[in-house]
Order: sequence, then C-alpha cells, then structure tokens
Amino acid sequence: MLKKYISIMRGVALAGLLMCSALLPAQTTASGVINGSLNNTSGISIQFDSDPAGVTLGAAGTNAATANFGTVSAFGPLSGGVTRPSVTAGNFTVRTIFDVQVISGGLTSTTYTLTANLAAAAPTGMNYKVDAVTLTTALQTIQINGAYNIDIAHNLDLVILTAAPGAGGPAVNTPITTTINFTATAN
Amino acid sequence: MKKALLLTIFAALMMISSAAVAQTTASGTLTVTATVTGSINLVFNSDASGLALSSGAGTNAATLAFGNVSAFGAISAGIVRSTTASNFTVSSAVDVLVTKTNSVSANYTLKAQLGSADAVNTWTVGGTAVTNAAQSTLTATGTYAANSNFPVAITVPFTTASGTLISNTINYVATAN
Repeated sequence: MLKKYISIMRGVALAGLLMCSALLPAQTTASGVINGSLNNTSGISIQFDSDPAGVTLGAAGTNAATANFGTVSAFGPLSGGVTRPSVTAGNFTVRTIFDVQVISGGLTSTTYTLTANLAAAAPTGMNYKVDAVTLTTALQTIQINGAYNIDIAHNLDLVILTAAPGAGGPAVNTPITTTINFTATAN
Repeated sequence: MKKALLLTIFAALMMISSAAVAQTTASGTLTVTATVTGSINLVFNSDASGLALSSGAGTNAATLAFGNVSAFGAISAGIVRSTTASNFTVSSAVDVLVTKTNSVSANYTLKAQLGSADAVNTWTVGGTAVTNAAQSTLTATGTYAANSNFPVAITVPFTTASGTLISNTINYVATAN
C-alpha cells in the first residue's frame, strides 16, 4: 500500500516537473514564421512637371495637373510663361511649355510612345495643339521615342479664332477649360 | 483532372497577360484653362499718296520724316504744301489701321496728342489740331480692319529760322466703342 502511494506521489511529482519545464521556456522564447511573397512587376508612370519657360502647373509632379494661361488676347498683355507665337487675321496662338516625365521600373523598354486626346470636343473657337499636333477626341501620337526618367518639354498651343463671340469666336471674359488625356505606352 | 489543369494554366496566362498590359501603360490628365478677352490693335501704314514712313510701317511706332521743307522751294513727292502770307503748311497722308479680335465692337474712337509742347508750330492730324495739353478726337466712328488716312500736317511760321529741326511725337489711342 505504501509502495503504491510512493509510486503515485513520484508520478505526480514527475508530472509537475514536466509541466513546469514546459511552461518556463514558453515565457522566455517566442518564435514564428511569416510566409512573405512579392510580385516584382515592371511598370511605368507619368507625371507633369512645370517647365522653367512655361506657366507653373497646378499639382505639378502628379498625373493630374492643371495649366492656367490666365487672360489671353491677340494684342493684350500675357501672363508669365505664356507667349504669342503668331497673330493672323483669322486666329492667334498662345503657347506655354510643360514637361512630361515618364518613369519606368523593371522594364527592358528604352522608350515610350506618348499619345493625347481631348476629353471632350474643343470649345467653340478654340483649338488645342501639343507640339503642333492638333488634338481631337481621338488619340493622336505626340512622340514615339520618349526617353524615360527625364523631363521632356512639350509646347501646348491654344489656337484661338479672332472672330467675335457668336460669330464663330470663343466666349470671352470667362474661363474656358479643357482636359487633355495623355497616355504613355512602353515601346 | 487534365481539363482542370488546362483551365488553371489558361487562367494563369490570362492573369499574366492582363497584368503585363496594365504595367506598360500610364495615363494622366492635364486640365487647361484660359480666359479670352477682346482686344484691338493699331498700326501705321504708308499711304500711297503720302510719304513712305521712314520706319515702323506696319507697327505702332512709326517715323514720318518730311525732310527739308520750305514755303516756296522744291518739295518731296508725297508732301502737300499750302502757303499763306505768314506761314506754310506741309502735310502727308498717313494710314492708321485698327483691327479688333474677339469683340462685338462696331467701331472705334481715335484720339491723338502731341508728346511735347510746340509753341511755334501748329500740328494737325486728319484736320484736327493736336497739342500736348489734351487728347484730340480724330474720329468717333473709325472703321476696323481698313486703312484710314489721317494726314499729318505741320504749319510753320515764316519767322522760323532756316535749318531749324522740327520734331515731335504724336501719341495715338484707339478705343473700341
């Protein structure tokens, strides 16, 4: 009977020690495994930058910038960064310069093609050109060999009819806003 | 089993190709704003019946040189001369061209003023006396986009010494009506 009691007590003591030994390491050591994965994908991005010779863009450095020519006329003063390359009897052109930078990562492509189109039909009496390419709502190719990761200057021309409002000319004394969509595609 | 494998491969290829297309194209928008205002422009042109402008024809800063003039001596072609008992007047046709853009204005008013006083000689433009005291109205209904002759005339007293240089600037202002 005593032997049996001693045997039981030994068993209990051993179990207690085992439990303690199992608990102690758990309090001072921690381990874990994270299964990380990453898809290293190549791609390009586009951003508009202000050109030193042009107007200062709003939201420069992003892909959704604004260019404000301010008040323009055939003969009156112009804002800084805006020039007037030509005035004819039928129209006049005001110009600013903006930069496009296309950034590439992980591509073997060395150049890109830049296309542009108007988001909506040009307002009455207004025409828009990028590097002498007249924009419409259809995609037009602006450049076929753009270099990555540098600012590339582009002329933005507004060709404005000189006719009076209501006679084919644009509305006057009110801001005329147009959105130009640009797409860069890796060659 | 084989069919499922093929479908899996096809799906994977589709995912790869769509990803590749998305990765090699970037797009952005540039919003362009301009406010157009009407404007008018004034230039001087040589008139066929008058002296050719010495410089600046077709611009808004021209020079009209009469050269040597006298009451009775030889006079250059293009100069009209009249003489009274005490003075003589030399005149040359000069065209003024005013153009408008983006404007519904029907006509313009043209005014002129001497740049500096001339207490000796009398200046007229288009038959209207001009001084440096105030602007003189040459016309209140000028026609756009047409050369309009506004002769420039100087009346010189006989008392003026020979060899005297007479020079002045006439400032023109056209205003859309």
